[in-house]
Amino acid sequence: MEVHGAGAIAQPATARDDQYLVALAVASQDTAAFGELIRRHQSQVRNFLRKLAADPVEADDLSQEAFLHAWDKLQTYSGRGSFIGWLLKVAYTTFLQAKRKSKRYAEVLDEAGHVADMESRSYTEDSQEVSDLDKLLAVLSQEERAIMVMSYACGLSHREIGDATGLPVGTVKSIIFRGKEKIRTSFDIKDHQHG
Amino acid sequence: MTSKIINMAEKLRDAEDRMLESLFASEPIADDGFSQRVVRRIRRRIWIRRLALPVAMVVGGAIAIKPASQILVAASKLLTVVPQDVVVKPAEWLPQVQGIAISGSLVQMAIYGTVLLGVGLLGARALTD
Repeated sequence: MEVHGAGAIAQPATARDDQYLVALAVASQDTAAFGELIRRHQSQVRNFLRKLAADPVEADDLSQEAFLHAWDKLQTYSGRGSFIGWLLKVAYTTFLQAKRKSKRYAEVLDEAGHVADMESRSYTEDSQEVSDLDKLLAVLSQEERAIMVMSYACGLSHREIGDATGLPVGTVKSIIFRGKEKIRTSFDIKDHQHG
Repeated sequence: MTSKIINMAEKLRDAEDRMLESLFASEPIADDGFSQRVVRRIRRRIWIRRLALPVAMVVGGAIAIKPASQILVAASKLLTVVPQDVVVKPAEWLPQVQGIAISGSLVQMAIYGTVLLGVGLLGARALTD
């Protein structure tokens, strides 16, 4: 892949593929090229994290963090899979790290006797309007939720999901199967194939 | 061949899959300056990283210069209190005295520099985050 430097960005951005923009961003630290990548994929990344994090503001903060991590690790993108698959991998890792941090923070608060504050917060969250999708996601574990969202909302293939989560394709398939089973039993959905 | 079968199987989504796809589907989120905010943060990080080392060196040097000069003055005074016959005659161990004094001051300067560099880099990291 030939990279001509920042001047080459003069062509219409849509005409360029993601891998070209990645190469440009890596080779010349071109933030404009990376900005174009963000513009292209921010909607999917933010939607993905909104479904995982529930709180849209927190999800958007995580999305910013995810793109910053993506910039730092951009040279590790091999170009083998789709760029959005790689981005969602970074976003998922960012989400898991944030989750671990907030869990530790909650433990510290708990020890310090701030349980009442947390309880009032969760009550406020519970009282917010709950969509059908939220109800659906609530029956799934964190891992199942992430994989189902990657598959059904982001349209990633099983292999891409495997790359993003570090799981074998067979495991991805069985998690999706299990997730579907849970949804079916929780919402009493009949098998559509048989009416 | 196997991968082709797997890909075909993935494409053959049933009605349940289509229902889930429609449930999971969401409206595209407008950029509304999101990408610009991220790019601004990236540019700021790049600048901070570029500036961190020179700034830490300058600050470290500015702070370390006073104790370093004091050490050098003390070392030179130490040489004046050494007996004259030691300074003049046994020329073989005089360089050792000077060497000890100079290396002592260098070690102290290096410690100051390392500590200040570390503080500078940690500060830069905190600013970046």
